[in-house]
Amino acid sequence: MDLTAEKLAKMIDHTRLKADTKPGKIDELCEEALSYEFATVCINSVYVEQAAKLLQDSDVLVCCVVGFPLGASITEVKALEAKEAVRRGAREIDMVVNVGALRDGNDDLVRSDIEAVVVASGDAHVKVILETGLLIDEQKVQGCILSKEAGAHFVKTSTGFGPMGANPHDVRLMRETVGKDMGVKAAGGIRTFKDALRVIDAGADRIGTSAGVAIIEDFRWAQYSDSWMQPDRPCWICPSRAASLDKQPKDVYLWYKQRCLVCPDRDENIFND
Amino acid sequence: MSESKTPQPYDEAIVLHVSLTNGTIKREPLDKDMIAKYLGGRGIGVKTLYDNLPPGVDPLSPDNLLIFAVGPVTATSVPTAGRSVVVTKSPLTGTVFDSNVGGHIGAYIRRAGYAAIVFEGRSEEPVYLWIDDDEVEIREAGKVWGENVEVSTDKLIEETDAKAHVACIGPAGENLVKLASIMTDKHRAYGRGGVGAVMGSKNLKALVVKGTGKVAVKDEEQLDLAVKRARRLIKKNPVTDKSLPVYGTPVLVNLANEYGMLPTHNFQEGTFNDAEGVSGEKLLERLSVRTYRCFGCPIGCGRISKTYGEEVGGPEYETIWALGPQCGINDLEWIAMANHHCNLLGMDTISVGSTIGCAMELVQRGKMDASLEFGNTEGLLELIDDMGHARGLGAELGEGSRTLAEKHGAPDLAMQVKGLEIPAYDPRGAQGHALGYATSNRGGCHLRSYLIGPEILGVPVRVDRDRPEGKADLVILYQNLSAAMDAFVLCRFTNFAFTVDDYAEFVSACTGIPIDGHSLLAIGERIWNLERMFNLREGIDGSEDKLPPRFNTPLPEGGTRNRVVLIDEMLPEYYRLRGWDAEGRPTKERLERLGLA
Repeated sequence: MDLTAEKLAKMIDHTRLKADTKPGKIDELCEEALSYEFATVCINSVYVEQAAKLLQDSDVLVCCVVGFPLGASITEVKALEAKEAVRRGAREIDMVVNVGALRDGNDDLVRSDIEAVVVASGDAHVKVILETGLLIDEQKVQGCILSKEAGAHFVKTSTGFGPMGANPHDVRLMRETVGKDMGVKAAGGIRTFKDALRVIDAGADRIGTSAGVAIIEDFRWAQYSDSWMQPDRPCWICPSRAASLDKQPKDVYLWYKQRCLVCPDRDENIFND
Repeated sequence: MSESKTPQPYDEAIVLHVSLTNGTIKREPLDKDMIAKYLGGRGIGVKTLYDNLPPGVDPLSPDNLLIFAVGPVTATSVPTAGRSVVVTKSPLTGTVFDSNVGGHIGAYIRRAGYAAIVFEGRSEEPVYLWIDDDEVEIREAGKVWGENVEVSTDKLIEETDAKAHVACIGPAGENLVKLASIMTDKHRAYGRGGVGAVMGSKNLKALVVKGTGKVAVKDEEQLDLAVKRARRLIKKNPVTDKSLPVYGTPVLVNLANEYGMLPTHNFQEGTFNDAEGVSGEKLLERLSVRTYRCFGCPIGCGRISKTYGEEVGGPEYETIWALGPQCGINDLEWIAMANHHCNLLGMDTISVGSTIGCAMELVQRGKMDASLEFGNTEGLLELIDDMGHARGLGAELGEGSRTLAEKHGAPDLAMQVKGLEIPAYDPRGAQGHALGYATSNRGGCHLRSYLIGPEILGVPVRVDRDRPEGKADLVILYQNLSAAMDAFVLCRFTNFAFTVDDYAEFVSACTGIPIDGHSLLAIGERIWNLERMFNLREGIDGSEDKLPPRFNTPLPEGGTRNRVVLIDEMLPEYYRLRGWDAEGRPTKERLERLGLA
């Protein structure tokens, strides 16, 4: 395996976005990020100044979410939040796309919303969270195209608060769409080094996770057996398996489930696994 | 050690040889080469047993050895460093056997200056060994012989020192019941394999230890760093920081049931309709009084419960299963009380519950005549008491499920491997775990290779529980690591948070021997192979690497339905990767490589 723990750590946005986060957790997050040399700490804007101070003079950047987690704030608010975050020390901005507009096919609104944040962020890199679990593939592709047109630097799969996390299918689709010039960040539900390696293999070059420490620590198990990476059943890593009528719009849910009917691995989708 | 109070490094620890036949006590320095090759604990115990026990010895004869041992990490600041092991030849399985306990006594053995205590022979009268740092004395134990574990513990502490810790047998060990445990802190058990019966066969009631010395490590700075890191990892891990502290091991009840792997009615089913009623969540809501921590443990998985107005230890997951779903019983209060009875008697709850479940099925199928019925607790506490005193039907069940089922002409109804009752995970639901059961040197055991971690819990990563491919490799990794862990000696639950490299760091810092993860696993492999050779010498060969035929039939319902154990697909690969021949015998080349030829 070519990937080292150090290289893997450099791909991780060490994330803490929960509502119950106290300042002490941000201190801990930053200490861990320095210790493991993660790419960034990914936090809410209220903690940007605190983290920036703790991480100054280090290679670990502050990444701030904007319009999070719904993406439904008005553009000016997103832009202002991004601008303020950058002023307070953020060097990367993870904004949530206007999901409703994207689903509605309102390309201009989606693009302008992203453009406003890109401009407001100045030199900071902007990642656009598509929340893929609320989209069908065509909409994911369109979200990638619009993000690229708007000058964003990355596209990102999920907030971690939506109906689905990252999966190889979405990452591969996004990588194929944006090409080599943009980054693809996989986020949501990445808990183990196997999850991480899977999305990296699919094309991700950044990983958002709150389990960064466990991923790097457990990655040391890899040297003791190749069997960890035995292939999983196709359904386990397929977004169609994760689809939920409770959490997704009916049309999106049905779109995912209809894929199962024509899936080449449909014979695997039997009984209980 | 107490006189000088100079911190003692592990390589200066003493091995005590106690002859109970002639009442002599001999002190020997710990062999340095032994540390390098076997570390301590299970490693040194197995090596001592292999070198000194000729084949064919009756486990309950004076010729058997009973070895208490600790390791190089014991009583240091490493989390969970209070554990200890007992190694002997098991009267239940006939195999080499190690049984592992938490509590505090391991740390006190080490603080008193000892690496191991080897008991040999048999005393004419009941005795106990009193270790007060350097002072070691064989004392008369007549006044506690016949007493239960709680009373014995209290009286022995009263007779010795309030700061002493006790490992003792109850009536079950005294009566040579093959399911007898050795108990410490009243409710922690060197649980399995009938090690308590071996102790009873020697007329040895207890080991009582007060240790006030300090232990030294070779590189304090290295250990401090490793321990700080280790504590952080335990805090970061959801199993060691949340599930186990909040629910204890019973958190597994609902999970195992969801997977259809909660053996019910003697493994006739894999789901229990009333699992919720005996779950960790229900235990927390109804019975839990407080948690219990072993020496140096930041996890605190132990429970103290209140049942029928009485505070009792436990119950653990395996116990809840054995005395609950295995017997079709859904009464959590009763299960906690039955567990308490087993603790007082000094009996292995897994084997007790599994053997009762076996008897219930024998009755169900008309193979045995007794007032036993799945789901019915009437008379069961009395039966458990009879088992502990080897009386009546209890005496029959106290021989374990293999003997019981054979006697009644239905050997296939005993859910055991090599005579040891299989614990609380239906092997049909996890192929790797099944292979671990089949190949375990001490018989049906979940702790030799806990593949429930990757196959069910997804720790460190999830692997497909139904695939046989790759499982031999993982089972060997876990078996070797477990053997090493029992040699240095730490708690299995640290596995959730630590990797092999962390353990190597501890051992290296404590011993001064440069050890990395691979060399640590090689030590584990050496121990595993030596155990295998012991068993082969006893006539226990590859034909015993099997599971009961029940697991060739799929379950009709639940999350593990439609599955059988694919042992024939995994075992040849396991032997090949182990460097063993097709019959499961270590090859000369492998033994030479391990320094065992």
